[in-house]
Amino acid sequence: MITFAIMREALSAVWGNKLRSGLTVLGMVMGITSVIAIVSTVEGMQSNMEDVFSNMGQNTFMVTRFGIVTSWSEYEKKRRRKIITRDFIEPIKDGCDACEDVGAEGYANSNIKYGSKTMPRVSIEGQTSNHLAMRDVDVFRGRYFSEEEERGSKNVVFVGQDVVEDLFEGEDPLGKTIRIRRLRYTVIGIADKIGSLFGQSQDEFIYMPLSTLRKNFGEQGRRVNLVVKAVSRDRLEEAMDQTRVVLRSKRHVPYDEEDDFDLLTPDAILSFINTFTRAFRVILVALPFLSIVIGGIVVMNIMMVSVTERTREIGVRKSLGARQSHIRSQFLYETLTLSAVGGLFGILFGMTLAGAILSWMDIHTPTTMLAVYLGVGISTTVGLFFGIYPAVKAARLDPIKALSFE
Amino acid sequence: MRLIETKDIWKTYIMGAEKVHALRGVTLNIDRGEYVAIMGPSGSGKSTLMNLIGCLDTPTSGEYTLNGADVGSMTDDQLAVIRNREIGFVFQTFNLLARATALHNVELPLIYSGDPRDVRREKAIIALKKVDLGDRMTHQPNQLSGGQRQRVAMARALVNNPSILLADEPTGNLDSKTSQEIMALCDRLHQQGNTIILVTHEPDIASHANRVITILDGRISDDSVLTSGEKTRGRVA
Repeated sequence: MITFAIMREALSAVWGNKLRSGLTVLGMVMGITSVIAIVSTVEGMQSNMEDVFSNMGQNTFMVTRFGIVTSWSEYEKKRRRKIITRDFIEPIKDGCDACEDVGAEGYANSNIKYGSKTMPRVSIEGQTSNHLAMRDVDVFRGRYFSEEEERGSKNVVFVGQDVVEDLFEGEDPLGKTIRIRRLRYTVIGIADKIGSLFGQSQDEFIYMPLSTLRKNFGEQGRRVNLVVKAVSRDRLEEAMDQTRVVLRSKRHVPYDEEDDFDLLTPDAILSFINTFTRAFRVILVALPFLSIVIGGIVVMNIMMVSVTERTREIGVRKSLGARQSHIRSQFLYETLTLSAVGGLFGILFGMTLAGAILSWMDIHTPTTMLAVYLGVGISTTVGLFFGIYPAVKAARLDPIKALSFE
Repeated sequence: MRLIETKDIWKTYIMGAEKVHALRGVTLNIDRGEYVAIMGPSGSGKSTLMNLIGCLDTPTSGEYTLNGADVGSMTDDQLAVIRNREIGFVFQTFNLLARATALHNVELPLIYSGDPRDVRREKAIIALKKVDLGDRMTHQPNQLSGGQRQRVAMARALVNNPSILLADEPTGNLDSKTSQEIMALCDRLHQQGNTIILVTHEPDIASHANRVITILDGRISDDSVLTSGEKTRGRVA
């Protein structure tokens, strides 16, 4: 009963001094908005990254010459490794019973042209025709190339959404001819939209048969990464072991030497990127917490001024029988009310801002409740933490001194 | 019936290295239903005595029994409960909450005694009607005259049916005509059975009381019952 009555006292005090309350709320709104905006953005980027990586395909791993290179000396060492070619596909298929399928991809990039329009430096991948089934890339329209087209090194391409947007602008690309290094290629299919990663679109690509890449781009088409799909998640490790055995023997690696290739799983790549971006994320999230602390100090200062200004009121309340706990609660409720209102607006603004940033980065991940929990948690904590000192100070005032305060 | 009983109370303040004795052994009895004025020049210790009687402070030494309870050794929170139940303060500067209506101001003590909302409202309305402000309940202090404000304060002091109405220079901020109104109200409340203690330095205000206690240098220098003749004279003067 008393609690509700004191809450009402607190509310009417908050309502009674709108300017001061407004300023306090503003301090909170700024802090919480920045935290929510940044945390939501980082979270969105993270879940987007996981989405994009899941496009690499489930239960798959890659065989690469370089793996993840983190230093120059490592690069120097790995540069001496023999290259990996598509010739390893068949031996792995034969020697690995935990492997469902094996493919290969080679890389190039080039300007591409359609009519008078040019798209500079587009990533081009040559792929074996089983590639689509191993990767989680979906066909949006048209089709992927067939085994025959790959065997015959046909000039056909399967393109990403950005290529459609930039080159064709509303025209139907299917069956149209684009030019890459003066050669003509027919567009036979379009991929589903993938999204973007680190602000970079993942939809700017052209896939063509690996043999076509080899034929038209020369040596570049010979150096490939192998893509291996295990029969199931459970047998992924086994598939990796068997692949390693086959490759070591085929590449004549002495038994006491390290592999001269690297196996990469999407998880490994993701966790590598995570360690790489961790510091960045920590700083990004830590900075707005600083503004929360500053916001909290602003709140505390304003409450201290409020306590001083209302010394007489506190004296009167005490003379009428308010106990220390009553006064303390009232001021704490005031701070909590202000910080809760600040938190509410902060969540609203923060999520809006994060939504805007993410859509500007072309990331479309559904928002989670994390921001809401975080906002409520932070504002309550700040309210309690920075509200307790002024409240205790108010509660401990000597009623006689408070009553004679001018 | 004995309401206030003090035995040799001292109040000593330490100012730097010096000890200042605001009260030097005050022994005093006040019965229920009395109408007492405490007089004395500024610095005499009368405010200190009032603070002690009002349970805003405790004596450095000596005993103070209020309505049978030993308040001399109580904690802050226990004193708060006593103030809430036993004491009704009326201040020179009214001390109303500026943003609250007359009704809400009068309700305040009842919040701290834990009365439910409708009981608070009911009691506050009755108290305001007692001071003839039944038609000003929703006014804020700045919409009321000085005399009306002091009457709101008196309603607030009375709302919890305290043992003592403790008025500290209640007319100090009022013109003489309004002062007379307020004192008439005090007289009426006394006739209705309330115990009233006035702290004042104005003889004609003190003359409303039936007993005048004079404080000088921290001690009671005079404690006399006024005859009706003296009361009349005091009022004329």
